[in-house]
Order: sequence, then C-alpha cells, then structure tokens
Amino acid sequence: MVAAAGDEAERAGIEVAAPLVCTEITKVFGEDLAAAMALLDEGASRQVVQERTGCLIAVRDATFSVERGEIFVVMGLSGSGKSTLIRCLSRLIEPTSGTVEIDGTPIGDLDDEGLRELRRSRLSMVFQHFGLFPHRKVIDNVAFGLEIQGATKADRYERALQVLEVVGLKDWTDHFPQQLSGGMQQRVGLARALCVEPEILFFDEPFSALDPLIRRDMQDELLSLQASMRRTLVFITHDFHEALKLGDRIAIMKDGEFVQVGTPEQIVSAPADEYVREFTEDAPKTKVVTVGSVMRPLDGETPAGEPVSVGAVLDDVLPRLLASPEELCVADDQGQVVGTVDRDQVAALLDEGSRAGAAAGDRTAEPR
Amino acid sequence: MTTAAPSAAPSEASSTIEARLTQDRQRRIRSGGGLAIGVAVLVAVQIALSSLGGFPESLVIPLADWIDDARRWVINNQTSHWSFSFFFNPVSDMIDWGLRAVEWFLLWLPWYVVVGATAMIATSVLGLRAGLLTGVGVLYFGAIGLWTESLQTVALMAVAVAISVAIGVPVGIAAARYDRLQQALRPALDAMQTLPAFVYLIPVVLLFGVARVPAIIATVVYALPPVIRLTNLGIRTVPAATVEAAEMFGATPRQTLRKVQFPLALPSVLTGINQTIMMALSIVVIAALIGAGGLGQVVLVSLRGLFVGRALEAGLAIVVLAVIMDRVTHGAAGIGTRRRLRLMPDTLAHVKPIRWVEGVLSSIDGGLSRAGSMMAVRMSRKLGVEALGRHPRKVLGGALLLAGTLVGAVSGRVEFPGAISFSFADRIDWLVDWVRDNLYEIGGTWFGTGWFSDSITIYAVTPLRELFSSDLAWPVVVLAVALASWRLGGPALAAFCTACAAGLGFLGMWTLSMDTFAQVIVAVAMAILCGIPLGVLAARSDRFERMLKPVLDFLQTIPSFVLLVPVIIMFNVGRIPGIIASVLYALPAATRLTNLGIRQVAGEATEASRAFGATRGQTLRKVQLPLAAPSIIAGINQTVMLVLAMVVIAGLVGGGGLGLETVKGLRRTDSVGSGFVAGMAIVLLAMLLDRMLQAWTRRFTPVEGGN
Repeated sequence: MVAAAGDEAERAGIEVAAPLVCTEITKVFGEDLAAAMALLDEGASRQVVQERTGCLIAVRDATFSVERGEIFVVMGLSGSGKSTLIRCLSRLIEPTSGTVEIDGTPIGDLDDEGLRELRRSRLSMVFQHFGLFPHRKVIDNVAFGLEIQGATKADRYERALQVLEVVGLKDWTDHFPQQLSGGMQQRVGLARALCVEPEILFFDEPFSALDPLIRRDMQDELLSLQASMRRTLVFITHDFHEALKLGDRIAIMKDGEFVQVGTPEQIVSAPADEYVREFTEDAPKTKVVTVGSVMRPLDGETPAGEPVSVGAVLDDVLPRLLASPEELCVADDQGQVVGTVDRDQVAALLDEGSRAGAAAGDRTAEPR
Repeated sequence: MTTAAPSAAPSEASSTIEARLTQDRQRRIRSGGGLAIGVAVLVAVQIALSSLGGFPESLVIPLADWIDDARRWVINNQTSHWSFSFFFNPVSDMIDWGLRAVEWFLLWLPWYVVVGATAMIATSVLGLRAGLLTGVGVLYFGAIGLWTESLQTVALMAVAVAISVAIGVPVGIAAARYDRLQQALRPALDAMQTLPAFVYLIPVVLLFGVARVPAIIATVVYALPPVIRLTNLGIRTVPAATVEAAEMFGATPRQTLRKVQFPLALPSVLTGINQTIMMALSIVVIAALIGAGGLGQVVLVSLRGLFVGRALEAGLAIVVLAVIMDRVTHGAAGIGTRRRLRLMPDTLAHVKPIRWVEGVLSSIDGGLSRAGSMMAVRMSRKLGVEALGRHPRKVLGGALLLAGTLVGAVSGRVEFPGAISFSFADRIDWLVDWVRDNLYEIGGTWFGTGWFSDSITIYAVTPLRELFSSDLAWPVVVLAVALASWRLGGPALAAFCTACAAGLGFLGMWTLSMDTFAQVIVAVAMAILCGIPLGVLAARSDRFERMLKPVLDFLQTIPSFVLLVPVIIMFNVGRIPGIIASVLYALPAATRLTNLGIRQVAGEATEASRAFGATRGQTLRKVQLPLAAPSIIAGINQTVMLVLAMVVIAGLVGGGGLGLETVKGLRRTDSVGSGFVAGMAIVLLAMLLDRMLQAWTRRFTPVEGGN
C-alpha cells in the first residue's frame, strides 16, 4: 500500500505537498534549555548534554514527511523518544525547536484557538492505554470529538453509530468502557478517532497493551480500514514485526534520533547499522523482500513461462520456485519482462541473513 | 594447604567479628552518649537556674491588652468604618439572611414531610433498612422535644457547608490547574487542619461579635480544607491520558474540565464534601459557645447545669444527625448505588419470616414503582421533560412529599406532635447518681472510679504539671524542646520549635500551657498503651478486626464535644473526664494505623520470617512492627493532635488549662484578649507537637534511609 495518491500525482507531474512535514524537531526536557540547545548545536552527544546540563534529549533533529494515504511507522524501544515525537506533531508536547507543517501550515505559529481548530478538524489520535473516558458510555466516548465541536446530539449520535458499526461495536453503545475487553476498548478508541473524520491520525502504540492474537486482528482490521479510507497515518510501535506489517515506510528510532528511514524492504535488506540489523535478524524476510530486489536483470533471451510481478514478495513466489528448479521471469507493472529469479538467489538472501545473524553475535559482521 | 591455615582463618574471622561488635557497641555508646550529654546539660542548667521556675511576668508581651484595645476599636467603629459597612456587615447580613431562610423553610415544612424526605433520600442511596433507620432517627429529634433545635443545627450546617462548597470547589479546581497556587495553599491547609476547631472561634468573635453568623464563618474556615484538598486531588488524579485525549480532540480547558476532569473527580469531591460536613458538624456544636444555638446549645447548657441526662439526649441527637449525614453522603459519593430491599444483614437472609417480609416489601415496591412510572411517563409527556420518565420512584416520592406539604400548609398542622414523645433523661440522671454512689468506691472498698480518677490525678497529671510549670526552670523546658527537635529534624526544626516553646512564655500562657501539656502527655500515653495493642490484635485476627471496626467507626463519627457527655456520667466533671474522652477520641487513630501498618507489611516478608521458624512473637517484633513503624508513628502523631483538640475542649467541663481560658474569652467580652492569646498558645503548642512528630515519622520512613 505504497502512497498511491502521491505516486500518481508525481507521475502525472503535479507537485503535491505532503500533508505532514516535520523539519528538525528537537525536544529537550529540563531546566537549562538554552545551554542544552547550544551543546546540541555543537554536536554534543545525548550523554554529554545530560551530564553537563541535566537536560534530557527526548527527540533530536527528527526530519521526515508523510505522504497522503501513507502509513508512516516510527519504531523504537522504550525511552527512544517515539511517544514524545508523536506528541510534538500535534503540540500536545511543545517541541523545543523545529517545525511541523500540516498541509503547508506551520503549526508552531498557531495560537491556542487555531491549534484547537486544527485538532478538532484535521487530527485525531489513538492512545496506548486507550485514554477512554470511564464516566461516558461507549457512544458518548465516540461522539466526544463532535460534542466538543458543538454538534447536536442527533448529528453526533448518527455519526458515532456509523463508526461503531464499522468497528463492529454497534451492540455495545450503551456500555461503559470498563465493561469491555481490551481489544474492544481499543476499537472504541479507534472509533472515537475516526468519528471526527480526521485527515491525519496519530497512533501511539495502540495495540501494545493487547494480547498477541487480538493485536493481530486489530492490525488486519486497521489495514483493511486504511485500504478503504486512505488517511494519513503516523503509527508508533516498539514491535518490529508490527512495523513491517503496517508500515509503508518505517523510521527506526534510537536515543531520540532516527537511525534509518525506509520501506520495510529497504530496512530488512539493507539495515543501516548493527542496531537495526539486530531487529531484522528474525524478521520474516520472505514476507517483506520483493522479487524485484533479488532478481537478476534481464540479459539477452527471455525465459518462457508465466512471469511473476516485480513487486511481489518472496512468499508469493516461493511455492513455484520450490516446485521447479527452473528460473522464473519477472515482469514489471506494464507486463514487460525485466529480469529472472531462481532458487539460488532466494537461498542466497536467506543464507546471508542467517550468516549475518550468526556473525552479529560476535560483533564482527560488516554491513553489506 | 598448610596446617596453619585452618586455625588462622577462624581467628581472623573472629577478630573481624570482634571488630564489628566493638564498632556496634561504640556506635551505640556514641548515640546514647549524645542523649546522656543532653540530659546532663539540662540537669546542669536546671540546678543553676532552679530558682527560676515558671516564666517571668516581666517578659510577657501584653498582647491580650492590645487585642482588647482592638476589640474596643471594632465595637466603636462597627457602624462607621468602611471595612465594616462595605465588607464585614454586608457579608454578615447575607449569611444571616440565608440562614434565616433555610431555617424558616425547614420549620415551615410539616414534620412528617421532613421525616419522609430524609427516609426516602437514605433509601435511594443506601437501601431500605438504612432508610427506615433514618426515619426513626429523625423522629427521635422530635420525640425528645428538640425538633426546632435539631433543624436549627441542620440549617446552620446547610448554610456553612454550602458556603464551604461554593468556596472550596472552585479553589480546589484552581489549585489543580495552577501548581503555584497548590504550593501556596498546602501549608495553609495543613495548618488549618492541625489546629483544634475551637481556635477558629476567637478571631471570628473579634471581628463579627457573638452570634450565629460568626459561628458559621468559623465553621466554614474550619471545614473548608477537605473539600479544597479533595477537589484538587480528584482532578489531579484523573489519568493524564484521559485529559490528553480530550485535548487532542480540541477541547478547550473549560470543556476538558466540565466534560472530563470534574465528572471523573466527582467521587473524590463528594468524599471531600462528606468530610467537610462531618467537620462542620463537630464545630457547629462547639460553636454554641458563641451563640450558635441549636443542639449544641442544649448540650452546653445542660452540662453547665449538670443535667447530664438532658445533655445525653441532645448529644445523642447530634450523633444521630452525624451518622445520618455521614452515611448518606458517603453512599452518595460511591458510584453505582444498588437499590436494596434488605431489612436484615445478609447473614440472616435465610430466615423464613424475614424473607417473607422482604418479599412483601419488594412486591409493594414493584407496585409503587409501576404506579410511579405510569405517573412519571404521563408527567414527562405533559411537561416535555424526558428525564422524568426515567425516574419513576423519584417522581412518585416527590409527588407524595409535595402532597404532604400542601396538606400541612392547608391544615396548618406542621409542628411535631407532642403525642410522640420519648425521654430517658431521668433514667440517665438516676444512673449518674447511682454511679456516684456505687462505683466511686465499689462496695465500700478503695477500688472504683474515684480511685481511678484520683490516682491518675495524683500520680500522673498533677506531678507532671508541677514539673513542667514550676519545678523545672522554664529555660530547661525550652532547651529540652530545642535539643529534641534538633535531634529529630535538624537546625531548622529546632529553631521553629524553640520559637514556639518560648512563644508560650512570651504570650503569658506558660503555666496554662504546661497544664494542658501535662494532660496531653497522660492522655496520649493512655491512648497509645490501649490503641497500639488493640491495633496489633486487630491485625492478627480478622474476627477481632471486624468486631472492632464498628466501635471505631462510631467513636470517629461522634463530634468531640458530645463524647464528653457519657464520660461525665462515669467520672463526673474535672480533668479526668477530659483525659478519658481524649483517649476515646484518639483511640481509633492509633488502633487503625497500627492495624493498617502491620497488615500492609508484605505477605512475603512475614512468610519468609515464618519459613525461618520464627514464632509469631518474633515475627511481630523483628519483622512486622519495624516495617509498620512509619504507619504506627503516623498514628501516634494523629493521636497527639486529636488528644490536644479534645483536651482543649475539655476545658469546658473543668479540664482547665488553655481550653478553659479560651472559653472564658468567648463567654465574657472583657477577657476576649486573654482568650485570644490562649488560642494562640494552643496554635503554638499544636504546631510544635505536630512538626516534631512529623519529623519523627519521617525518620522512620525507609525512603529517606534514616536510622
């Protein structure tokens, strides 16, 4: 689900501003911000800044843009600054420096009123521990955003019921959140966020408090929802597999900084450093790596047989490769044959992964 | 391995052990040495200054005279000065008007409507059994002939609590929003809660004179802290994620407050209001001293005339009022109330007749609710108010009460009927006589309440008072306070406490303060000696805890002043009933916190100790009590503060000391100054004790690593 709308527009030669552009966002917690920022400008490390000023660098120079309809995942372990970053995007936390532009408007310049208007009309958020209002029924939780905007009860209930139907909770409208299971509570959270029809949705580790099976269901559901609604999503997680599954692009975050930004395939096949490689070790590569990246470019004759798509992941072609030792031809989106792929190439990729993994164990492996 | 090694190793080990033991011993000697030196210094100073004794008159600051001057100025300018004509008098008039209106309304209602309304409220909040008991309780007010007085007290409470809530909730909300305000308020609220209720009456009398309005103002000041505190706390403990979610949806601060924070804080706010009501009730009674009237007045006048029976009747009415208000507001504070048609505790639910009666009741209830719902639906349709249709019982109840009120208004028969009457004052008076005749010296032997009172007086209270007020030179006492507080909390605390102690002398209240202090020490010692063992027992036996709980609940619900009455029945007036009442009043704190502290000790620690084969006694001494120490010390702290509050009130019944001096100031205009000064001395004493005890508690809190 690569940013299709943006791609099409680009191909058509139209320049489309990304709905969310972040430039050098830095967030420092502490008293002596000026000293900390000065040290940062000199390129001092996080530890040095903390020792000298007592300030904590939560996010440092995060620069990225999110395309329309894209799921942008920020993945990092706890303490890596990802939750702070996502809060900077809507100014729930005020960034210390850097700009966030939403549809070309720098939100740092907005006054309280303007910021509220932005949050009411364009943004929405799903929270890690759901952030539901325990004193309100499910329907009043979902309708909260509209209620804040001053919608009449009839209007907001109508819309809330629609959304609750979408997330499969229309029979639970009059329950209170604590009467629902964790998965259902997060569906309420999701419905609440969708109810205001936001352009951009922020997800702050929404599924990490859920059981593994429920988590998988919710991920699938989010993907199918996104397939139909095509919003712009920023998704925070500490689960690398979740990042691979959901993300059109992934940013890996460590100690407040982006280590690598790329498509799941780029990250899995070319980890920027040892830190990223450790995550990729037990990643399901065949689910991420596409035929295009392992194929041999076409030289000379075109082999016979039905071609496989250049964008297909290896999992899709493995059955055919295992069935016959022949190489398969690979075709691009227009049906033009562009290369070939056989067992050995796939085996080499998987083998390399396991060798790199073994080598990473004694810290001697070189990045490819 | 050489042959020397095995023999060398143990000797080396034993020498290190020797070293350790010596070190330990030296440390103990050093810390004991500090104490010994302190005592030695005190003894030396005492010998050097033994002729000094009490605080010299010449050093006393004539504060009392200044205050009398101020009082005179107030009286002379009450009609002319702007601060009175534009602030104090209008405030006073407004409160007075509100009070009269509430009182008039309550007395205008037919008595059966009042009984019915209270019973219905209690039923809807707590269930049928509580509702019926509440009805009986309200009937009791009329039956003992104190209908008007009871409603006066209720009106006084209602106005005071309404003002407290009107001030407290907004202030609490503001404190939750602005950290700086919270920081500024905290010490003030702490101080307000530390001081005995009594102390508030004096400055109010100074400004507003003696009447019901100052009583309300004093009540508001005293009862305000819990509602501010718990509103603040309730809003601050709303999960941050919830508030963040509201902000993320673009809610304005006001919307966040109205739709998220306040509703979620409501249980806490209601708990605060419950505490405010209980505190208000306790002071409204004492406020009879400055002309508040109502039930407190009856208790006070009866006690003064030694009509103990009448005092007990009125006191019991106050207790009934307290219990009703406490339970109902407590029930209202809990969310998700269930309607219960139970007459008896659940343990008796299997008894046939009870089940039968309850069955009948529930079918009556069903019928009533159906009738109500028919009515409610019709009304809601007619009036266009949808909400009415959802509360059939309330609509029905409201209709009944309205009808009752109309009948009363038409027939003019609203007064409590004399036919319903009940009095046990005579029997109590007889009991008092009987106790005096028979228990003072049981069966003509030396043993009895007289012996008990006399020995406490002769062997504890009097010697201590003499010791502090005249035997010891006053600098010795001040120095002792300084040394002790230094040891507990360092130089800052020492400076504060020394200033407080010396202040007692400069105020000219040295002797009276030492009198009160001696009573406090005796009462605290008794309360601790009873309370801590009870707490230990309660912690070890669930059954005992269950038995003890209602007793402690009851003791905590009784307003301090009322607690004096039954004690007087046993011990007559004087210092001893004050001390006994203090012990009873403070007992729940010591017992509860000991019990709580021991029960909070992690099960694992206790289990580990048992796994090593420790006896129950060893587990208690070596594991549970040390771990429970912070809680127990906090209990002792509370005990001391409660005892102080009570001992001061006991000044009313011959306890003497600072309390009596304050009461005199309240009663007689010519001694307002000295009353005020005595009140200040109480404040100093309270703060001195509280700070020292808090420092002591902190030393036991493991987080601070102190030992």
